[in-house]
Amino acid sequence: MASLPKRIIKETEKLVSDPVPGITAEPHDDNLRYFQVTIEGPEQSPYEDGIFELELYLPDDYPMEAPKVRFLTKIYHPNIDRLGRICLDVLKTNWSPALQIRTVLLSIQALLASPNPNDPLANDVAEDWIKNEVGAKAKAREWTKLYAKKKPE
Amino acid sequence: MSDVKQEERKRFFNDDLDTSETSLNFKSENKESFLFSNSHNDDDILSVSDNSEGEKDTSILPVNEEIREDDQDQFIGELLRIIPEMPTSISIKLNEKFGSKKEGLCLALSHYFDHYKENSTSNIPSSPNQVNSHSDTSSSVLSPSPSHVKKRNNYAFRNQNRLEDKTTWKRFIGALQVTGMATRPTVRPLKYGSQLKLKRSVEEISAAKVYDSRGRKKASMASLVRIFDSQYNREIGRVPEDIAQILYPLLNSNEIGFEVTLIFCDNKRLSIGDSFILQLDCFLTSIIFEESSSDGQSFTKRRRTEREIKREKDNKNFGRSLAETDEELENRSKRLALLKLFDKLKLKPILDEQKAIERHKIELSSDPEIIDIDDDNDDDDDNDDIRPGQAAKARDNLWDTQHEEETMNLNQLKTFYKAAQSSESLKNLPETEPSRDIFKLELRNYQKQGLTWMLRREQEFAKTASDKGASETDANVINPLWKQFKWPTDMSWAAQKTQNDHLNLEDDIFFYANLHSGEFSLTKPVLKTMIKGGILSDEMGLGKTIAAYSLILSCPCDSDIDRTPYDVESTDIPDDVSSTFKTSSQNNKKPYASKTTLIVVPMSLLTQWSNEFMKANNSPDMYHEVYYGGNVSSLKTLLTKTKNPPTVVLTTYGIVQNEWTKHFKGRMIDEDVTVSSGLFSVNFYRIVIDEGHNIRNRMTVTSKAVMDLQAKCKWVLTGTPIINRLDDLYSLVKFLELDPWRQINYWKTFVSTPFENKNYKQAFDVVNAILEPVLLRRTKQMKDKDGKPLVELPPKEVVIKRLPFSKAQDLLYKFLLDKAEITVKSGIARGDLLKKYSTILVHILRLRQVCCHPGLIGTQDENDEDLSKNNKLVTEQTVELDSLIRVASERYDNSFSKEELEKMMRNLKVKYPDNKSFQTLECSICTAEPIDIDKVLFTECGHSFCEKCLFEYIEFQKGKNLCLKCPNCRKPIDACRLLTLGPQNSTSENLEFRPYSPASESSKITALVKELQLLQDSSAGEQVVIFSQFSTYLDILEKELTHAFPKDVAKVYKFDGRLSLKERTNVLADFAAKDYSRQKILLLSLKAGGVGLNLTCASHAYMMDPWWSPSMEDQAIDRLHRIGQTNSVKVTRFIIQNSIEEKMLRIQEKKRTIGEAMDADEDERRKRRIEEIQMLFE
Repeated sequence: MASLPKRIIKETEKLVSDPVPGITAEPHDDNLRYFQVTIEGPEQSPYEDGIFELELYLPDDYPMEAPKVRFLTKIYHPNIDRLGRICLDVLKTNWSPALQIRTVLLSIQALLASPNPNDPLANDVAEDWIKNEVGAKAKAREWTKLYAKKKPE
Repeated sequence: MSDVKQEERKRFFNDDLDTSETSLNFKSENKESFLFSNSHNDDDILSVSDNSEGEKDTSILPVNEEIREDDQDQFIGELLRIIPEMPTSISIKLNEKFGSKKEGLCLALSHYFDHYKENSTSNIPSSPNQVNSHSDTSSSVLSPSPSHVKKRNNYAFRNQNRLEDKTTWKRFIGALQVTGMATRPTVRPLKYGSQLKLKRSVEEISAAKVYDSRGRKKASMASLVRIFDSQYNREIGRVPEDIAQILYPLLNSNEIGFEVTLIFCDNKRLSIGDSFILQLDCFLTSIIFEESSSDGQSFTKRRRTEREIKREKDNKNFGRSLAETDEELENRSKRLALLKLFDKLKLKPILDEQKAIERHKIELSSDPEIIDIDDDNDDDDDNDDIRPGQAAKARDNLWDTQHEEETMNLNQLKTFYKAAQSSESLKNLPETEPSRDIFKLELRNYQKQGLTWMLRREQEFAKTASDKGASETDANVINPLWKQFKWPTDMSWAAQKTQNDHLNLEDDIFFYANLHSGEFSLTKPVLKTMIKGGILSDEMGLGKTIAAYSLILSCPCDSDIDRTPYDVESTDIPDDVSSTFKTSSQNNKKPYASKTTLIVVPMSLLTQWSNEFMKANNSPDMYHEVYYGGNVSSLKTLLTKTKNPPTVVLTTYGIVQNEWTKHFKGRMIDEDVTVSSGLFSVNFYRIVIDEGHNIRNRMTVTSKAVMDLQAKCKWVLTGTPIINRLDDLYSLVKFLELDPWRQINYWKTFVSTPFENKNYKQAFDVVNAILEPVLLRRTKQMKDKDGKPLVELPPKEVVIKRLPFSKAQDLLYKFLLDKAEITVKSGIARGDLLKKYSTILVHILRLRQVCCHPGLIGTQDENDEDLSKNNKLVTEQTVELDSLIRVASERYDNSFSKEELEKMMRNLKVKYPDNKSFQTLECSICTAEPIDIDKVLFTECGHSFCEKCLFEYIEFQKGKNLCLKCPNCRKPIDACRLLTLGPQNSTSENLEFRPYSPASESSKITALVKELQLLQDSSAGEQVVIFSQFSTYLDILEKELTHAFPKDVAKVYKFDGRLSLKERTNVLADFAAKDYSRQKILLLSLKAGGVGLNLTCASHAYMMDPWWSPSMEDQAIDRLHRIGQTNSVKVTRFIIQNSIEEKMLRIQEKKRTIGEAMDADEDERRKRRIEEIQMLFE
């Protein structure tokens, strides 16, 4: 295996030494390109009490190519489908090598705070969200309680 | 049988007689008259007449069968007459066996010789004259031509009076049948067998009138040679032109004797224009041998002075441009005539002496023949007025078998020096081990054998008498200029019966002739290899350095010095003008450094030699000195006056050349120059020149200088004695003072000219003969006596990596290729490709440069041999080139308008106001900070990136067909609209923005960096060698590699011709030191580092660009792949796809198969090159 680019090492180190509040990312012992990530649900959002688990993988072409990120925890969100796939522009077309793991994860956290049902991935959820936002948010809160870890008090 | 005879008779007599019938009639008619005519001269009338009677019987027999009687007594009598010693019992047996057969006598005789020879070997007469008398009978039986029969029917006599006083003997070499033409009517018929004479019709005529300046005959010679009746001393007739051409030059000297006998004349009397047939017997007289044995005048006459040779060099018409004196002309015409005569007589050199001796024994019993002129065999171009030759075709099966394959495999040269050293004899060389007290290192077996050989060459063994084989090496080698000939059996008219008693030639089967110089000898001319020394031509990596030291240390000083106090040069061959300026007497003035060996090496190897000496030397008394010219105040005193002079003085070609130039340049050639100091002031005991092919061009100052160094023993070390052409060897021969080859005219005549005339066989034979005694070559493939390879090296793997062009390269390449193709095509179309040769070379060079890096264009490289002479051309066109590059990169420039550019610069200036701001630049892609200011790029939006990162991004986006946006602000960017910082100026602190042109990218460098990175990841602390022929490319590589790798990852070294000796040493030592923490990269110029260096510490090599000749690259690879290498060697060659480089590979391949050394002369080489050019552009 080709050695780990300097940049990845640098980013990893920084994630550990200077973590983003509410976000953790730890590389796997066997594969330094594979990260186990947790994101706290943003406050004032239906996800605020939960800690969501994600996996993040840095492809060989990183940073030319965006990291691959997926929710492991079940979540009710119009831009995240049943498999945990995320619909986020910076992970797709708007990726830039100037972005980093840290920025990607922050973007995801922001996505949790402000779902965008007009550009949905999970269509049924998005529909629900548009028709009955209160009901949808309640369902999201319910799912957070059901599936996500509880934030330590 | 009779049919055949009839047939041949017809052919023979066609011109003279209507039918064969008449010839028979004629014969019987005249039998009576000629049979007894000249018998008064003969002592043994009876036996002769009997003999002829017998012969007549047998010969006529096939025609008139009934004449034949089976007379037992007659048969036995005949047998006994032929072989008087034959026991009667045998003769009776033979009679029983063969008496009744058709050609019984003949069969009986051959049977006798086959079966009874052993018993009677002592009786076999060894003189050809005697032999002839024996075989006479049988031959006439076998001989198909009646004319032969006729001749033999007569007995011979020998007119001794004819020979001049000085001539002590003469010996038959052959006979010709010549048709004469009567020029005067005769009253009486000419008698059969009457003796005639050949004379020049005009006695003294200036040679210049006969020959033009090129030695061709002007006048018809037939009119100059006349046949005289010796009895009445009146002219009878003339001979055909072709014969006259041979005879005329030879008639006035006594070297060749001619005897002429009339053998046929059909008319009673001759009227003008009638033809008659002569037998022309040719003899070599003792005079011709005397002259050469005294080794004297003729030789010196031909010798040319140095200045003449010089003039010849300027003149293509070698030797002919000089106005030859009459004497020279005559000598030459004589030589030519001799050659022709030998040709006519079918005297051919003997190739295998052993076989010839055997054959000689057989021939004693077989059929000697007279050779008729054979017109369909006549290939010289001036046989304008030959009369139709008498056609009985000489039956020379003998020569047929000797016809060797004339065609030559083109690969022969490649193998020839391998062949020169038959491995068998090598295996049998004893080993000599140098004493441990003086020589520290352990020699390999073949090196020990080599030491034996070298000591033999210096005849050290002869001195100590410890080895008897010492002198054998060159004792029996015949001088290849000379050819060995067998004396033919004497069948001259006169000699048929008489015994040549006055000369005891019994043991002389052979004589020797130098047909090129016209010298003759009875004794074998042994090749003189007086010089002590030779060529050690072991393949690279077999340890020639060590071998040389083993010799030097084993034998550090001249042991002869006590016995023969100083007469080194007098033992030399008669001093030769061509080799040195100084005369012998002057040589003797030079003090003799009898304890010192001078070693001349290329500068890059000086340290290595010095180190090796330390390693090898184990004796405290011996030491070495490196001579730089100035560092030793008086070399002469040091070497000759002090008690313990250095055993070895090491110096370089450059220093030798410098000193020589100082002392000799500008002086007249023959001016006496006494050098009081330096290398030329002493006569060394021994000189060793390393990489001896450095002097292959004898016209260079270095070569001349090296040739002028004097020593008793001279050695050449070279792995490649022949680089380009056979003539490369000449310089080595000249340096070694091998006579006579060091005279350029000899070399030209016997090697260059035959070679140019595609007479490879002769050229190689000569070269082989020259080199065999003095050259030792072993290759890595050779097996020792136990069948093991001499050297076992780890495997070597060569990989060719084919790469695409980078975009900029592609653009530029296409542009240049178009231009080049236009030139070549128009050149081909107009047929003046040769005239444009140098222009085309420049084109090719540029194409090759683009393949490496566009930045190379316009730089001139001293490493490019082809263009060394055309440097002007390269520089002259730099203006054009500049615009050319601009054209190629125009698209980049155009993407900025001037205003845009200025605006952008202004914006950037605001963002980055001073140099300080450049120190904190960050690349968001690799997150490195600060970015190296040499590698920074700015986007239009003012963001900074590493050059590498940004282009990686751009390539990636392009590959996915995604639009290009600034990674930082997502504004669209364009690869062609980037800025970089201007060249770092040492005087001004301010860095300038300038448009970035990606044309400085090279796909090879990109690939190389990747490879190196992989290597860094896989194994730490590797040493890597990178070869290129362009020193400018090395500069670029140095820059880009140091940028690509931080100092703690890889260290880059550069080694090229520009380094001083000290720097070289340092670089190599530093590079060789193992450092596991980082990679070491050595950038090596193919030319400066291609030879001699030992880089076994590295096992990875990268060849950045292909060279025309594969051997050069092999040489380079062998720097790594040589003795001492413990790892397998991996070589990667970078080649650009679909470029001139791929075609160069094909040319390399071709060269490998046909052997590039075959590019004999300049013209041939050029032609070959033209072919190559066509290949490149097809």
